[in-house]
Amino acid sequence: MRPLRQGSSCLLSSLQTPVWSSRAFHPVFVRYNSSFSSDQFAQLASRESSKHQIYQSFSTDPYVNLSIEHFLLEHAPSDSNILFLYINQPCVVIGRNQNPWLETNLLALQNDREPNAPGNRDNSALFVRRRSGGGAVYHDEGNLNYSVISPRTAFTRNKHAEMVVRALHRIGATTTSVNDRHDIVMSTGQAQPRKISGSAFKLTRHRALHHGTCLLDSPNINRLGSFLRSPARDYIKAKGVESVRSPVANVSSVFEDAMMPFSTDQVIARVVEEFARMYQVDADAVRRAQRAHTLEPELYAGGTWVVGAVGERHGYGEPAVKKGIDELTSLEWKYTQTPQFTFSTYPTEDDPRERPILPSSLPPSTRVFLRLKHGAIIESHISTADDTSVATEQAARVHQVLNGRKLHEMSLPQWRAVLLNQLKVEGNVLEELAKFIGGKLGLDTRS
Amino acid sequence: MSAVARSIRPFASRVLSQKLPLVGVRTVSPAAGFPRVSVRSFSQSPFLEVKKYTESHEWIELADDGKTAKIGITEYAAKSLGDVVFVELPEKDLEVVAGEAVGAVESVKSASDVLSPVSGKVIRGNKILDDKAKFINESPEAEAWIAEIDVNDPAELDSLLDAKAYKESIAEE
Repeated sequence: MRPLRQGSSCLLSSLQTPVWSSRAFHPVFVRYNSSFSSDQFAQLASRESSKHQIYQSFSTDPYVNLSIEHFLLEHAPSDSNILFLYINQPCVVIGRNQNPWLETNLLALQNDREPNAPGNRDNSALFVRRRSGGGAVYHDEGNLNYSVISPRTAFTRNKHAEMVVRALHRIGATTTSVNDRHDIVMSTGQAQPRKISGSAFKLTRHRALHHGTCLLDSPNINRLGSFLRSPARDYIKAKGVESVRSPVANVSSVFEDAMMPFSTDQVIARVVEEFARMYQVDADAVRRAQRAHTLEPELYAGGTWVVGAVGERHGYGEPAVKKGIDELTSLEWKYTQTPQFTFSTYPTEDDPRERPILPSSLPPSTRVFLRLKHGAIIESHISTADDTSVATEQAARVHQVLNGRKLHEMSLPQWRAVLLNQLKVEGNVLEELAKFIGGKLGLDTRS
Repeated sequence: MSAVARSIRPFASRVLSQKLPLVGVRTVSPAAGFPRVSVRSFSQSPFLEVKKYTESHEWIELADDGKTAKIGITEYAAKSLGDVVFVELPEKDLEVVAGEAVGAVESVKSASDVLSPVSGKVIRGNKILDDKAKFINESPEAEAWIAEIDVNDPAELDSLLDAKAYKESIAEE
């Protein structure tokens, strides 16, 4: 691991000295000096003695939170145990090796491709690709994310989900448990338990990151599935990782008839306690962590611990955090990181599924096939003609133009232009075909 | 002394990411786990050991030309990762520095980078893994290699772990 910043160790030692050495003699002095401005985050987190770290984020920006988390994975001491809790603004987060055209309803998301698409209204959700594995999940203000970063040697995939289950049991959600997919489910009296939390992992040489969602009290619980349903699911066959769909519920739903009101703060407090118990965190650190209010960006540190609130949107001027944010927000990461896939309106050898009947506005002989690698078209067949040789000519002309084009850069007008110039068909068919393709790929076809 | 200490450590603390049956590790004797090293090292110059390992559980095997090498993950890594569902292969001509990612694998919702043991330039990724990622679990140290690279300086391999040292390093985990 390379040092974060020249001179940071100097700065740190001057900060640390009063906290440790005078502890036994001047308790009051210690308390004043253990508080740090949150722009010390990078130094304190990577300090060699920071064995236990507990943070809550005051940011709801998923790019910021994922990048702070990634910074902790890469730069905290390799024997440290870290808990990071955050709540994101509405967003759909797909796994590292997933396909946004297959896993999400891109049109309903702020998708960076079209400035005026319906998904770009204020009340919609962001589209994010994370660095860990696993499937697509929906986040909003009623979803608490927990993240535990610990040494890889002692790591198991269930241990931190079980930690959260213990916390949930303590607030009264006693029917929660970890299932064989390392997710947390809750029995609600229905035949199938409801998923309340999904897990994903990132492993490095010495470290293991486990982060999970936890649907505590999402106001969108009944419509979150609509963000995760792609109009192209019958047409796309993708390499990489496909999500497993599960019925979901809010933890709060079991408190509807209870005397005790449900409280997110209670859950956070119990998760912190269970983490502290699991890793024998200093009692002072736990007290500070429980008092840290997420609206006050302040950090507290003792000799072996750091706790407090983080989330500055520019990553504290820390180049590694800033770089992480830039990477996650880039269209290359969001779209061209997609594993190879095909889109086809007819059965192929790779994907022999029966396809839905084409819209009646298109000639029944219409064929649309795309093969993509790194989000770019590397093979295609788009034709409308019934006659095989005419269709082959059409497809060859279209492919000359499409070859190498990045799918996320293709707007509806661009599709229209390609089809108009290469297909040589009547305007009405052309318009319908552009709308059909655009609609399946999440473009706004109203205009 | 240290061998005794090792043998009494709880097994759970030695695995990478999930519990394995104890027998699974016991069967990785030097002969069974690393057959190619013991056979081929005799045919090479004494300074050039054919197959080397990293602490992060990659292997690299230098071809007879002494210039190109294949890289993969070890049997130990493949077992501890569980079922591999996707392998991200490097593109041709990618320049990699020792310790940087030359690929990535996903297994059981876990993403892990495959680090290049030495510096070099990618010749090709193993296309078999595009269609059959799980092949990594079947043949991690042979046919399911991940990348073939042009090694900048074959002497870089000297500082890597040999089979014996690697085996000791996984016993310590």
